[in-house]
Amino acid sequence: MGILQSTPVSDVSGLEAERSLLRKKRAARLRQAWMALLFLAPAALFLLVFVYLPSFVALAIAFFHYHLGGASSPYIGMTNFSDALQFNIFQKSLLNTGYYALLMVPSILIVSVCLALLLNRVGTYYNFLRTLVLLPYATPAVGTAIGWLWIFNPTYGLANGFLHWLGLPVSGWLQSPRMAMPSIAIYSLWHGVGFDVIIVLAAIAGLPKQMLEAAAVDGASAWKRFWKVTLPLISPTMFFILIITTIGTLQSFSQIYALSGGTGGPEYSTMTTLLLIYDTAFKYSHLSYGSAMAILMVIVIIVLTLTQRYASKRFVFYQ
Amino acid sequence: MARALKKIPRPVFGLLIGLSFLLPLYFTLVTSLDTKADVFRFPPHLTFDWQWSVYARAWHMFRWPMYFGNTVLIAAVTIALALTTSILAAYALSFIEFRGRNLVFSLILLVLMIPAEAHLIPNYITLAKMNLVDTYWAQILPYGASVFGIFLLRQFFLTLPKDYWEAARMDGCGHLRFLWSVALPQCKPILFTIGLYIFIGSWNSLMWPLMVTQSHHVQPVEVALARFLDGNSVDWRRLSAASVFTTLPVVIMFLIFQKHIIRGISRGEGVKG
Repeated sequence: MGILQSTPVSDVSGLEAERSLLRKKRAARLRQAWMALLFLAPAALFLLVFVYLPSFVALAIAFFHYHLGGASSPYIGMTNFSDALQFNIFQKSLLNTGYYALLMVPSILIVSVCLALLLNRVGTYYNFLRTLVLLPYATPAVGTAIGWLWIFNPTYGLANGFLHWLGLPVSGWLQSPRMAMPSIAIYSLWHGVGFDVIIVLAAIAGLPKQMLEAAAVDGASAWKRFWKVTLPLISPTMFFILIITTIGTLQSFSQIYALSGGTGGPEYSTMTTLLLIYDTAFKYSHLSYGSAMAILMVIVIIVLTLTQRYASKRFVFYQ
Repeated sequence: MARALKKIPRPVFGLLIGLSFLLPLYFTLVTSLDTKADVFRFPPHLTFDWQWSVYARAWHMFRWPMYFGNTVLIAAVTIALALTTSILAAYALSFIEFRGRNLVFSLILLVLMIPAEAHLIPNYITLAKMNLVDTYWAQILPYGASVFGIFLLRQFFLTLPKDYWEAARMDGCGHLRFLWSVALPQCKPILFTIGLYIFIGSWNSLMWPLMVTQSHHVQPVEVALARFLDGNSVDWRRLSAASVFTTLPVVIMFLIFQKHIIRGISRGEGVKG
C-alpha cells in the first residue's frame, strides 16, 4: 500500500512539491507573525494601557464632569475648556511656562555648545571635567533643590554673597516675583546642561577631521571654522537638543515644585501649567477640569514641535 | 573681558567651570556641617565646621531606611519588568521578519512625542479602577515598558550578524532559546546602561509618586524629602543634612558607573528626564 501510494508520476509530483513548499513557506511566515506578536505583546500592553489609550481618555473626560467612584458624570461639552481659557491663573500659567521655555532653550543651546568646545579634548583630565559637568544631571531634584534654596536665600545665600563680592546689587531670587522664574532656570541649567554637553561632544567627535583640517590649512580662524564648518555640521544635533529641551521644559515639574515650595509662588510667578494641572486634579480633585487644561497644553506642545520641525528645514544642514 | 578670558589656559578655565558645577553640592555639604551660629553669617563661608550632630537629628526625624527601601524596591521591580518587556519587543523588531515591522517601531517611537500631561490624569483613574492607588504597583506599572530600552536594544540587535540566527535555526533552535543563549549574553553592557537609566529616573521621580501615594509606608525617598522640606523650612542645617544623605547614594552610583551613563547618552540620544 505504502509503496503504491508513494509511487510518483514525475511532473504532477513536481507541482505538488512546489505547492507544498509554498504552503510551508506561508505557514512559516504565519508562525513568524505569531511569534512577533507574542514577543511584542508585553511591551505593547503597557504602552497601550498607560500611554496610548489614556491620551484619548483624557480628551474624552474633559467633556464631562467626571467623578471617581459612584457619583454620576454628566456631559458638559466645552465648558471645561472655556472655563480654563478664561481662568486668569491658567492664562498666567501658560505665559509662565512659555517664559520658562524661552529662558531655558536658548541658554541650553548656547551653554552646551560652549562647554562642549571647551571640553573637546581627549585625556583623563578632560574626562574628569566632563564628569563634573554631568554630575548634577544624575542628582535628584528635591535633594539638590534644597541646596539651591539656601544658595538663593536673599539674606544669607551664596548667590547674593557672590553679587556682594562683585560689588553688584543683591537680588531677592526665588522670593522676588520678577526673579523667581529666572532663578529656577539657573537651577535647571545647572542640573540639565551636562546631558546636552555630552550629546554635542559626541556629535563633534563624529565630524570628518579632514574638513576641519583643510579649513585650518586655508587659514580660517578658529572662530570662522566654528561658524562655517563645525556648527553647520552639528546642526542636526542642535536641532535634536532644541526639540528635547523644548518638550522637557514644558514638562518640568520636580524643580519647580521643590523651588517654589509646591506653591508656584511668589504671586503665581512660577505657576506652570503642569503644576496647575497637578493642583487642579490632585489637590482639588477636579479631574475633568485638569484634563481640559492638559489637552490645551498638549495642543500648545504639538503646535510648537511642528513649528520647530518646519523651521528646521530651513536652518538644519543634513549631509 | 573677552580678551582676559582668552588668556586663561584651557585646562584652568575648564577646571573653573567644572568646579562651579560642583560648588552647589559642596556648599550644601558645608551648610550641613555648620555650627548654628555660622549658618547665619553673611557673606557665606566655604570651610567646614564638622558638626555631625545635625545628621543624627535629621536621620531620626523620619523613617529614612523605610523610604530608601521603598525607592530601591520600586526601582528594582521597574528595572526587571521594563528590561523584560524591552528585550522581547526589541528582539521581535530585529530578528523576527513580519509585515508592518517598521510601522510597529514607528508607533513605539511615537510615544516619545506624547507629552506626559496627556496621560497623567487617566492613568490615575486607571489605577484607581484597579484598586492600585497608594501601592507600590501604582509606581511601577506605568513604567513597565521603556521606549528608550527598546530603541537601544533594537539598535544593538541589528548589529548582530544574521548568520548567527540562520545557523541556530538550522540546528533547530527556536527564537526564545536563541534570544536567551546567544543574543542576550552579548548585550549585557547595554542592559546595564538601560537599567542604570531606569534606576536614576525611578530614584528621581517626584510628580507621579506624589499623585498616587498618600501612605508613608509606600512612599519613596524623594516624596519623603519633599515632605521633610515642608516641615523644616527654617532649619537649614537639618535640611542640608537630609539633602546630603538622600543625594549621596545617587552621586556615588554615578561616579562608579559614569562611563556607562555617558555611553548611554552619546549612543541613545533618546530620552531626557
